[in-house]
Amino acid sequence: MAQFPERPSPWGGLGAILDTPAKRWTAIAVILVAMAAAPFVFGSYGTVILTNALLYVLLALGLNVVVGYAGLLDLGFAAFFAVGAYTVGISTLHFGLNFWLALPLAVLIAIIAGVVIGAPTLRLRSDYLAIVTLGFGEIVRITARNLRETGGASGLIGIDSPWLFGWHIRTPLDFYYVFCVLVILGVIASVRLANSRLGRAWLYVRHDEDAAEAMGIDRVRVKLAAYIVGAIYGSIGGAFFAANLGAISPESFSFRQSVLILMAVILGGMGKIPGVILGAFIVILAPELLRDFGDLRLLIFAVGLLLIMLFRPSGIWPVRSKR
Amino acid sequence: MTIFDIFTNQLLNGIVLGSFYALVALGYTMVFGVVKLLNFAHGELYMVGGFAGFLLLSFLAPYLGPGWFGVAVSMVLAMIAVGFLGVVIERVAYAPMLSAPRLSILITALAVSLVLQNGMLTLTKGQYVPFGAALGFGGVRLGSLFISYNQMVLVGVAGALMLGLELFVSRTQYGRAMRAIAVDKDMSRLMGINVNAVIAVTFFLGSALAAAAGTMAGAYYGSLWYFMGFLIGLKAFTAAVIGGIGSIPGAMLGGLILGLLESFGTQLPGVGSEWKDVFSFSVLILVLVFKPTGLLGKPEQERM
Amino acid sequence: MRNVMKTAAGLALAIVLGMPAIAQDKLTIGIMVPTTGSEATYGQDMANAVNLAIGEINAAGGVLGKQLTSTVGDDGCDAQLAVNAASKLAASGVVGVVGGYCSGATIPTLKIYGDAKIPLIIPAANSTKLIPENPGNAFMINSTGNDQVAKAIEYFNGKGIKSIAIINQGDAYSQDLADLTKKNWEAAGNKVTNFEVTNKGEQDYSAVVTAITSANPDAVFWTAYYADGGLLIRQLRERGYQGLIAVGDGSNSPELFKIAGPAAEGVIAFSNPTAEFLPQAKAFADAYQKQFGAAPGPYSTLSYDAMKLLAWAINTAGTTDSAKVIETLQGANFTDTISGPISFTPEKTLARSNFVVLQGKGGAWTLAQ
Repeated sequence: MAQFPERPSPWGGLGAILDTPAKRWTAIAVILVAMAAAPFVFGSYGTVILTNALLYVLLALGLNVVVGYAGLLDLGFAAFFAVGAYTVGISTLHFGLNFWLALPLAVLIAIIAGVVIGAPTLRLRSDYLAIVTLGFGEIVRITARNLRETGGASGLIGIDSPWLFGWHIRTPLDFYYVFCVLVILGVIASVRLANSRLGRAWLYVRHDEDAAEAMGIDRVRVKLAAYIVGAIYGSIGGAFFAANLGAISPESFSFRQSVLILMAVILGGMGKIPGVILGAFIVILAPELLRDFGDLRLLIFAVGLLLIMLFRPSGIWPVRSKR
Repeated sequence: MTIFDIFTNQLLNGIVLGSFYALVALGYTMVFGVVKLLNFAHGELYMVGGFAGFLLLSFLAPYLGPGWFGVAVSMVLAMIAVGFLGVVIERVAYAPMLSAPRLSILITALAVSLVLQNGMLTLTKGQYVPFGAALGFGGVRLGSLFISYNQMVLVGVAGALMLGLELFVSRTQYGRAMRAIAVDKDMSRLMGINVNAVIAVTFFLGSALAAAAGTMAGAYYGSLWYFMGFLIGLKAFTAAVIGGIGSIPGAMLGGLILGLLESFGTQLPGVGSEWKDVFSFSVLILVLVFKPTGLLGKPEQERM
Repeated sequence: MRNVMKTAAGLALAIVLGMPAIAQDKLTIGIMVPTTGSEATYGQDMANAVNLAIGEINAAGGVLGKQLTSTVGDDGCDAQLAVNAASKLAASGVVGVVGGYCSGATIPTLKIYGDAKIPLIIPAANSTKLIPENPGNAFMINSTGNDQVAKAIEYFNGKGIKSIAIINQGDAYSQDLADLTKKNWEAAGNKVTNFEVTNKGEQDYSAVVTAITSANPDAVFWTAYYADGGLLIRQLRERGYQGLIAVGDGSNSPELFKIAGPAAEGVIAFSNPTAEFLPQAKAFADAYQKQFGAAPGPYSTLSYDAMKLLAWAINTAGTTDSAKVIETLQGANFTDTISGPISFTPEKTLARSNFVVLQGKGGAWTLAQ
C-alpha cells in the first residue's frame, strides 16, 4: 500500500501487468494482429458489427473525456455526433465539398457548437448540466428533423464514400480498417491527454472543484476544454458514420443514442480506456448476440446490465489505481 | 375564435397537461432530494401505473362501473401497487448501489427502465391497449371555453395529491426526516433517523404519484402503450429541473410552466407544434443560465 | 483481469457460434422489421403476417418441395440497427427478405442486400426517397406517397374542400406524406391552414386541437399511424371539430376504432384495400386474429402478400438463384393477393396505385361511396 494514492492511470491497472517494454510491445502486436485478422475470422456480418462497435469505442472515448476525466454528466453527446454527420452530409451533397475538406469543417462546427452551448452552462453543477446537455441534444435532433436543408425526417441520402490516395473507401471491410485506425488514434490522443497538464487539471476539478479553483485552476475553462475535446471525437465519429452508411436521419441522434454512449462509458469503468473499450463492445455486441431471442433481446440485455452493475458497481474494468 | 378565446383555451390545455407533468415531476424531485439519484426509470412507473390501473379497472368495472368512481378506486389501488413496486426497485436495484459512484446508479436506473419497458412490450405484444373507462362528455361552458368535468376532476385530483404530499412533507415526522436526509444523510443517520425506511417511503410516494398520473392519463386519453413513459419521463425531468430539482413546490411550478410553454408554443406563430420542444428546451436552458438552480431550487454543494 | 479476458474471449466465441446454422433441407426467409423500440407494434404485426403466410405455404407443400422457415432481423427502426440486421440476414444465407417498414431505416440496407444479391420485397416503406437508392433487387409493393397524395387530393376536391390542416408525427413516412400533400394541395391553389407536427407517444393533443379548431379548416389530414391518430381524432371531436377527418394508410387498422371509439365514425382513410369487406381479406383477418389474438395492423396484409409473392417468384423461377428470382419478380403479374394484383414499373415500384378510399362505419372500415 502506498502512502498516497497514485494518480489513476487511464490504462486502469494494465500497467501493473504489462510492466516491461517487451510485454507491452507484445501486447500491442497481438492486439494489432487480432484487429487486422478479425474480419477474416468473423465474416461479413461480424465485420459490420465490429465496425459499429469501433465507432462506439471512438464516441465513448470522446464522452469519456467529458464524463470520466472531467466529471461532467453529458446526456446529449449525440448532438456532436449529429453535427459531424450532418456537416459532412450537407457540405458534400449540397456544396460538392470533398470529404477530406468536409471533415475539418465538421470538427470546426462541432467546436463552435461546443463553445456556444458550453460556455454559458458549464458553470452549472452536474445534474443541471445533465439536463442542459439533454435539451441541447434534443434541440439538434428536432432542428435536423424540421429543416429541409437537413432532409427533414428522411435525412440525407446518397452521401459519397471518400477516396484516399486512389483508394475508394467503400466496402464494409474498408470502413472496418478506417475505424480501426481512428480508434488507435483516439486511444493515443486520449492517453496523452490524461497524462497532460490539462488531464491533471481535469482530475483535480473532478475530485474537488472548489479546491481546484482555490489552486488557481479556471474551472469553467478546464471543463470547456473537456467539452471541446468530446465534441471533436463526436464529430469525427459522426463524419465517418455518415460516409459509412451513406444515409443519415435524425433518428440516429436521439436521446437513446446519447444514453447508449454514456452506458458504454460507465459500464466498462469510466476514466479507464480499456474499460471504455470494453463497455462500447458490450453495448453494441450484446444486443447483436442476443438477436436469436427476438423481441426479448433488449429485456435480456437490460437484466444483464442490471446484474453487471450490481456486482461491479464501479464498472467492469477493475479499479486498482491504489496499488 | 377570438384571440382571447384561443388564449383561455390554451391556458386550460396547458394546465391540464402541466398537472400530469407535475405529478410525475414530483417523484423525480423527491427521489433526487433524498438519494441524489436521477431516477430514469420514473417515467416507466407512470406507464406501469397506467397498466395497473387498467387491469384493476377491468376487474372492478363489473362492480363499480367504468366511470370516475371505478377509475378512482382503481387509481388508489394502482398507486399502492406501484408504490410497492417502487420500493422493490429501490431495494433490489438502487440500495446496493448507494455507495457506488453516482453515475453507476444512473446506469442501473436506465437498466430498470429498459426492463420495465421491454417487459411490458413482451406482455402486451407491442399492442396499444384501450383503457376502457367511460367518463362521459359533460362540462361547463364559459363563453367559448368549454371545461369538461373530466378536466376539473383531473386537475382537482392532481392538486389534492400535491397538497397532500406537501402537507406530508412539511407536517409529519417522515416528512421532516425526509428533509433532514436531503440536507445530510450521514448526519441524519447519526441523529437516529431510520434512513432506509425514509428512503422507502420516498420511493413509495413518488411511484404512487406517477401511478396516479398514469391511471388518470389512461382513463382520460383512452389508451395505453408500453412506450408511453419515455416521453413524459423526459418532460417531467425537464419540469423538475426548471422548478429546481429537489424542491417539491418547484416540481409543481415546473410542471405547470412546461405545460403552458408547450400549449402556448404550439399556438405561437413562428414556433408552432413543429418547434415547441425546441422552444421549451431553450427556455429551460435560459432559466438555468440565469438561475442555475432552477426557479425554486436552493443553491447547494454537490459533487459527482 | 483474467475474468475480463475470459469475458472478451467468450464474447468473441459467441459471435462465431451466434451465426445460425441454416439447415439445408429448408429455405430460410429473412424478415426485417422493428420488433423492439417504439415501432415494435407495427413490426411485430408484419412479422406475424409473414409467418402466417409461411405457415399456409408450408401446409400447401412449401417452395420447390422444401419447407420454409423464417428468421427475424430486428431493425429497431434505426439506420444502424437496420444495417446490422441486414448484414446478419445477408450472411445467414436467406433466399429472400421481406421487410422494410421505416423508410429511414430501410434506405441504408438497400446497398447491403444489393451487394449480397438477395431479393428484397418491401411491404410498407414507401418514401419516394427509396427509389433512387435501389440497386435493382428491391421491389416496393406498397404504392408510393405520390399515389396516396393524388388519391387524397382527388377525394378532397370531390367533397368541395378548400382548406385543410395537415398533421404528421415527424418520422420519415408521415413527414414525406405531409410535405407531398402540402406541396400539391397548395400548387392547386388551395389552402393549408395548419401544418402541425406531434411527437410519437404524446397523449395530449389539446394544444394542436385548439390551434386547428381556431383556424377551422374544412378537413384535417392525419398522415401518421393509427394509435396516436385514434387519440387525436377523439380529442378533435370532443373539442367540437365538425369538419372532415382523413387519415393515411398508416392508420388503416381496426384498432383505430378501439382507441378513438365513436369519434372515428365517418373518418376517411386512404389506403391499400384490405380488411373485412374483401372476402379473401376476411379469411386472412380471421386467421390472424385466431393465431395472434389481435386484429391485423396496417401493413400486415401487404406483408402477407409480399411473402406469397416471394414464394411464387421462387417457385416460378424454379430456383433460388437470385438473378432468376429478381427477373421473375420484375416480370410478375401476381394476382393471388389480398391487396390486389402486383406488377412492377421499371423502377420496381408497384405498377398501379393501390389506394382506395375507406370510411369508418359502425366501428369498421368500409369502402367509401
